Amino acid sequence: MNEISVVIRLFDFMERPEGWGRSQGRDVYQKLITFVEDHPGVMVFQVSLNGVRRVDISFASETVIEVARRYRGSKGFCFIDLTDADMLENWEAAAERKQQPVMVWKDNVGRVIGMLPSQGNQSAFDFALKRTRTRAADFAGATPGMSIANASNKFKQLWQQGFLLRREEAAESGGVEFAYYRIG
Amino acid sequence: MTCLIEFPSNWMNASALERVLGSSCEPHSSDNTDIEFSFPAGSKVMIDAGLRLLSLFNQLDFSTHRVRLNFEEGQAGVMGYLNRMGFFDHLSPMVEVFPDRPDFSGADVYGGMNTGLVEIARINREVRDAALPSRLTDALMRACGNRPDASDLEGAAWTIFAELIDNIFSHSETPLDGYAALQVYPRGHRLKVAVSDSGLGIMETLRPALQQESPVLSRLSDLDLLIEIFRQGVSRHGTDRGCGLKGSAAKAMKYKADLDVRLPNIRVLLKPGIQGYRADTAYCYQQLPLIWGTHICFTFRLDDNC
Repeated sequence: MNEISVVIRLFDFMERPEGWGRSQGRDVYQKLITFVEDHPGVMVFQVSLNGVRRVDISFASETVIEVARRYRGSKGFCFIDLTDADMLENWEAAAERKQQPVMVWKDNVGRVIGMLPSQGNQSAFDFALKRTRTRAADFAGATPGMSIANASNKFKQLWQQGFLLRREEAAESGGVEFAYYRIG
Repeated sequence: MTCLIEFPSNWMNASALERVLGSSCEPHSSDNTDIEFSFPAGSKVMIDAGLRLLSLFNQLDFSTHRVRLNFEEGQAGVMGYLNRMGFFDHLSPMVEVFPDRPDFSGADVYGGMNTGLVEIARINREVRDAALPSRLTDALMRACGNRPDASDLEGAAWTIFAELIDNIFSHSETPLDGYAALQVYPRGHRLKVAVSDSGLGIMETLRPALQQESPVLSRLSDLDLLIEIFRQGVSRHGTDRGCGLKGSAAKAMKYKADLDVRLPNIRVLLKPGIQGYRADTAYCYQQLPLIWGTHICFTFRLDDNC
């Protein structure tokens, strides 16, 4: 995954360290979209908040959260360098409102904000989070009583809901299979 | 017809202002061609009432009423305070002031020098003051910087101010300006942040969209809907929006702030309880005299560290 992810410094898309309001948010959104479209091969965008002092909920809602929703399933967006508790609360409120899961990474530990996986999919999500890439067969093999079809179904739901990304890849046995990637 | 409205000869906050307006003529009524507002000796205006009055005076002038303000004590009284806050800088030049308008603006001369206040700032979508939320936050922190939770409060306060002011830009489709100001009341252990605009008001922009978006919410009374805007977030732009006011209210609640929201004819006073702002603990007022726009005031209690 590393070769197909890039770091975006959100501050580089802003005119000042404070992200304030819908109007400024919409301007930044357009710049983010242009950046994403200019990097067609990239699956994961790690959004660094270095240099960003504050954002309000409206700005949060119009920028990264909206971009994440727009590309749900095809590209992933996660936060890094997010240390301010109040700012985290605002990103969380915006993501929750749009029902858009977004990963926050700190010291190689990821947590999701915005929405949680369903109880039935939680263990599959936890399994996927510990690996950069995984397949339904890996999860089924590591989980007693879990069929490949069931594991596949869980991963598919997590992908559709925006928790994971997936790519069609060549299977060892020939043919194709889906590989699932964590976001970040 | 001439209408005379006399204010009390002591402190007047937003609630006292409502009592005065409610027992007098309806200022916006087209029957009233001339309206005189009288500030007697001893009159003192709190910032929430001051901003609403500023908006009301400009609205009345805009709608071709003749407005006259009579300050019995002149500059020595409440007029001096209002001048210090920049009130007359923003008052329509067509409004008559007795005995005279101040010779100079106290806000211009002393602006930024008092740590206990932020002078009245104009909110206009054409001239966006990018530093305004930070200025209001800095004033709050000067009053409360010694609190153990000062850093958290600072972030929360900035978000509250940013969302409130941005809401004016989003909703206020009006040629009249909106205003924001802050005042610390050390003796009363209170800090008030007031934001006021003369736009359409939240209900006018929200109601038409809600009928399609959320029939359940659209059946609520204005008062209940207003509370829901702050409790669960409701927006005319769809279910995924509307988190700004809700989020700012949630932050204000963490710091036990009272929330006062005045719309053209209704007003709710929300006091935080254990479960947040709730309809059954709200003080509601209906059929109030018309004041266009949305007028919001957060009152923070200052403890010994503030």
